[in-house]
Amino acid sequence: MSCDAHTVALLVRGLNKAFGRFVALDDVDLTVAQGEIRAVIGPNGAGKTTLINVLSGQIVADRGVVEVSGRRIYRQYPHQLAKLGVGRTHQISSTFRRMTVYDNMLFAHNSESDHWWSLRASRLGTMRNAVMADLEAIQLADIADQVVDDISHGDRKRLEFGMVLAAKPAVLLLDEPTAGMGLRERHELIDLVLNEVHQRQLTLLFVEHDIDVVFRAAEYITVMSLGGVFAEGTPDEIANNERVQDIYLGGRRN
Amino acid sequence: MTKQKKINNEVIDRTSFVPDPYAINWWLTLSIVVIVAAILLLSPPLVIFAITEVMIFALYASALNLLLSYSGMVSFGHAVYFGLGAYGLALTITHFGWSIPVGITAGPIVSAIFGMLYGALAVQLTRIYAAMLTLACAEVTFAIAFQWFDVTGGDSGISGHVPAMLGLEPDHFALVVLLVVTGSILALWRVVHSPLGLTIRAVGQNAERASALGRGRKRIQLMAFTISAFFSGVAGTLFGIFHGNVFPDYMGILITVDGLVMVILGGLYSFGAGIYGAIIYKILDNLVAHYFDYWQFVIGVILIVVVVVSPSGIAGLIQRVGRALKRGHQ
Repeated sequence: MSCDAHTVALLVRGLNKAFGRFVALDDVDLTVAQGEIRAVIGPNGAGKTTLINVLSGQIVADRGVVEVSGRRIYRQYPHQLAKLGVGRTHQISSTFRRMTVYDNMLFAHNSESDHWWSLRASRLGTMRNAVMADLEAIQLADIADQVVDDISHGDRKRLEFGMVLAAKPAVLLLDEPTAGMGLRERHELIDLVLNEVHQRQLTLLFVEHDIDVVFRAAEYITVMSLGGVFAEGTPDEIANNERVQDIYLGGRRN
Repeated sequence: MTKQKKINNEVIDRTSFVPDPYAINWWLTLSIVVIVAAILLLSPPLVIFAITEVMIFALYASALNLLLSYSGMVSFGHAVYFGLGAYGLALTITHFGWSIPVGITAGPIVSAIFGMLYGALAVQLTRIYAAMLTLACAEVTFAIAFQWFDVTGGDSGISGHVPAMLGLEPDHFALVVLLVVTGSILALWRVVHSPLGLTIRAVGQNAERASALGRGRKRIQLMAFTISAFFSGVAGTLFGIFHGNVFPDYMGILITVDGLVMVILGGLYSFGAGIYGAIIYKILDNLVAHYFDYWQFVIGVILIVVVVVSPSGIAGLIQRVGRALKRGHQ
């Protein structure tokens, strides 16, 4: 555990969050090094999504410390955290449904530019090649002119991921990136994610229910239960942890 | 190597096939202006008055449509910004002694300033709660115009500060309105189809996603609200000049509802909603009021039928007919 301030991408200490009487986060500690790929698993209601919501600024925690790349976060709005380099996707893909695939990606690029408030339409034209190249990278160039409402669930997830990448994040938070996908689609998406994460040297924290995906992708695994961190370790350590097997993996991994 | 080349080709091909949907269609604009101008020059005064009013309301409804279709906001008090244009014109002339051209410039600016103030309140909330706040702001403003007799003339309004239609012939004034309205609607087109407009549309469709990509909702919606108030003010100023007066009713609930009905009739999520809606609504208004005593009831029924038959309004109907014709050709 030799982590000096420079190499820590995400630092969480004593994080608490309650919704009324329901304790969603109960003294969560978490340290994710820069460039690490960390999976967060746990049964429903364990607080995984709440953790991501706090880290991305959607929810303000009751107590606790969060630092992103050494910077203390306190009540920042999501768009301010986005500028600090936090990019996130949602469990149910969150895109602009009445726009074309192209315009979705165009928005992500436009948001990054200094002239996002400009009234000159020609500025959008100059982004065209970069937008198409990004759509090519997530294999959506063929359906660039389709309205997002009409494309498949998997393609929407892919698009959301692509838009988040276009915002040039340093830390990626993916909330169930493969939820609701078919087996093949699932592995294609994870390949895409891992490829981009390695190429851009990003830090990745992802919540996932598919154990195969988790054990294939993650370097470290955090197991959450009842709002707290239940266990932490490499995939091998987690797989051999009897307490984890009891509460979570159960019979699934013999 | 070959793969890379293929990708590049595809990039270029696709971009060249897709016509630029953001460009202003100058030929279409010019044809419409010429046709309307010709109609105006050939019509009797009563028709000219009707067309003038339709044009003014087309601009007002288009400004409101920027909010409804694109920014994800609803305003239940938009007549305030319409009326404030006319009041801005009247008050700056009667109370500050400014000249008529300065007063005309002041109208839309007053609307924009109030739009910015009330908008700043409204964006603190979302959806129906924000809409109720716009209603509350509108009621307060209406009450002030209605009751502050010394300044606003109360119920009897202000008149005589500017000659009706600037003293021009009806057809000449209508041509001025045509040019101002066309210019303003083109400006709105530019807003919607610019980088700023893309941002407004994105925030309107999914504020959560836009925020996660670095663009917070409040500031963007406030910009949209202010722009919408400004162009509503342009329409209201024109209306004030048209009649040469101003009354509290110019910012009353009826004009607010007129605007909302026009946009819904015209078809949400299309740029032309305000224009189609204003034309159809004003035609219905004039025709039906001519033949029936209960004309508001009849318009209500028509609105229900439109919403049930074609939820996307007249714009949606036009699109569907267009698509059906295309299919017929193939």
